[in-house]
Amino acid sequence: MAKKEEILEVLKGVIDPEIGINIVDLGLVYEVESNDETNVITMTLTTPGCPMHSSISAWVENVVRHLEPGKKVIINLVWEPQWTPDLMSLEARQELGHRG
Amino acid sequence: MIQSESIVSAYTPPFKIAAKYFIAAIVSFVLLNFLLLFNYSEIAGHHFNPKILSINHVATLGWITMIIFGAMFQLVPVVLETKLFSEKLAEIQFWIYLSGVIGLVYCFWVFDTGISMTISAVLLNLSMFIFSFNIIITMKSVKKWNITAWYLAAAIFYLIVTAIAGLLLAINLWTPYVKLDHLQYLNLHAHIAFIGWVSMVIMGVSFKLIPMFTLSHGFSLLYAKSAFWVLNIGLLGISTIMHYKETTFLYYIFTGLIVFGIIFFLLQIHIIFKNRIRKKFDIGIRFSVVAYLMLGLTTILGTFIAFVDYQNITNLTLIYGYMIIFGYISMLIVGQMYKIVPFLVWYHKYSSKVGLEPVPMLKDMFIEKFALIEFYLMITAVFGSLYSLAFRIETGVLISFSIMFLSSIIFLFNMITIFRK
Repeated sequence: MAKKEEILEVLKGVIDPEIGINIVDLGLVYEVESNDETNVITMTLTTPGCPMHSSISAWVENVVRHLEPGKKVIINLVWEPQWTPDLMSLEARQELGHRG
Repeated sequence: MIQSESIVSAYTPPFKIAAKYFIAAIVSFVLLNFLLLFNYSEIAGHHFNPKILSINHVATLGWITMIIFGAMFQLVPVVLETKLFSEKLAEIQFWIYLSGVIGLVYCFWVFDTGISMTISAVLLNLSMFIFSFNIIITMKSVKKWNITAWYLAAAIFYLIVTAIAGLLLAINLWTPYVKLDHLQYLNLHAHIAFIGWVSMVIMGVSFKLIPMFTLSHGFSLLYAKSAFWVLNIGLLGISTIMHYKETTFLYYIFTGLIVFGIIFFLLQIHIIFKNRIRKKFDIGIRFSVVAYLMLGLTTILGTFIAFVDYQNITNLTLIYGYMIIFGYISMLIVGQMYKIVPFLVWYHKYSSKVGLEPVPMLKDMFIEKFALIEFYLMITAVFGSLYSLAFRIETGVLISFSIMFLSSIIFLFNMITIFRK
């Protein structure tokens, strides 16, 4: 069974192609739960109603399934708590031009 | 939402539709600069020349409107969360439109004001009616009307007004049996085209794309909404009173409203930028910021022209037109193309590989350094051209047009690089 860290590591492969920051450093991934049958990813997007949310879910599902092909993958998309820039890692914030 | 992905969705039509329009537009942009360069002395000479009308339509129809058609086929379904009514009509429209553009540009070039020009105008009208029909039917199925939808709906109305006014002008040149004041209709045709059609699209789309590209949210749309009403009242007012005599006072009122509308739009853009999370400006946004600033400068000049008697400054109209077409609109289109085209191609080719194998970032889809050089060349060319036209320095016009031509070649090169990725 994959550890949370391993799942987070593959999720870091899901990079926003425009800003070059992955969804983990952007602070979009809230929780990763893994048991014998399923991997559940609880995550958000920066704005509700994103027309691309199906693609993003597909990317996340793809990488997690690739890591453990036998298990079910559930993407739990939530809007609470709302995403804020404070959830970004230091590197991500610097990449976007914020100081510190 | 990972912001940048929002220019495609489950509703997106195949990229090949927009791509066709984009390619034709980019070729037109290079051709436009080529024609300007090789006719620089006639343009610097400020004599009325039908070639200027021809070149102007390469810009407005071949470059600007062509890009807008392609972008709208791509963005309308996504922004309004509905499917495009007919991809087939978008395809048919392209060929009718292209024939009309080539026909009209050729007729102006040789100044053949006979039936060929009217036929070209009819083709253009036909293609624009097909476009409007396609988009209006698409919009009918929209459940949530947002601010962008209102602007785009208004823009389509003005596109039709522009097209009909253009057709009447063409018929009038062929056989003046339609009783109309040619110069007044020309004025209406030009202003409705630039403010009603092109700028309404730019504004509506800006409210959606700029927040997306700069990661900006949590702002009020009050200025965007105010601008919508003020601009429409102004434009409809101007178009109505031109048919009546002694309306100078109302003319000032309605012109004033249009000026306020543009100011409100720029204030809204300012607020969007102020709320952005992504502080750094990438190349696409840099072009766009300069374009918005140029819109501000152009509006100041336009207000001056509207309220002050400028008959003794003969080349002011030319300077005004150049500022609108190059400083404001082309600068913005180039910037937005550096955002939209890499993403669409990237999505088409790499989206299914995300996380599974290394995929390029959007800025790796073209040579950023070249784009930056293009940016500085374009700014230099815009100000160089304006200065040289104002002070009638022929060599200056030649140098500036050469620089603009060079910048358009770099743009072409980078766009080809993206398409070949």
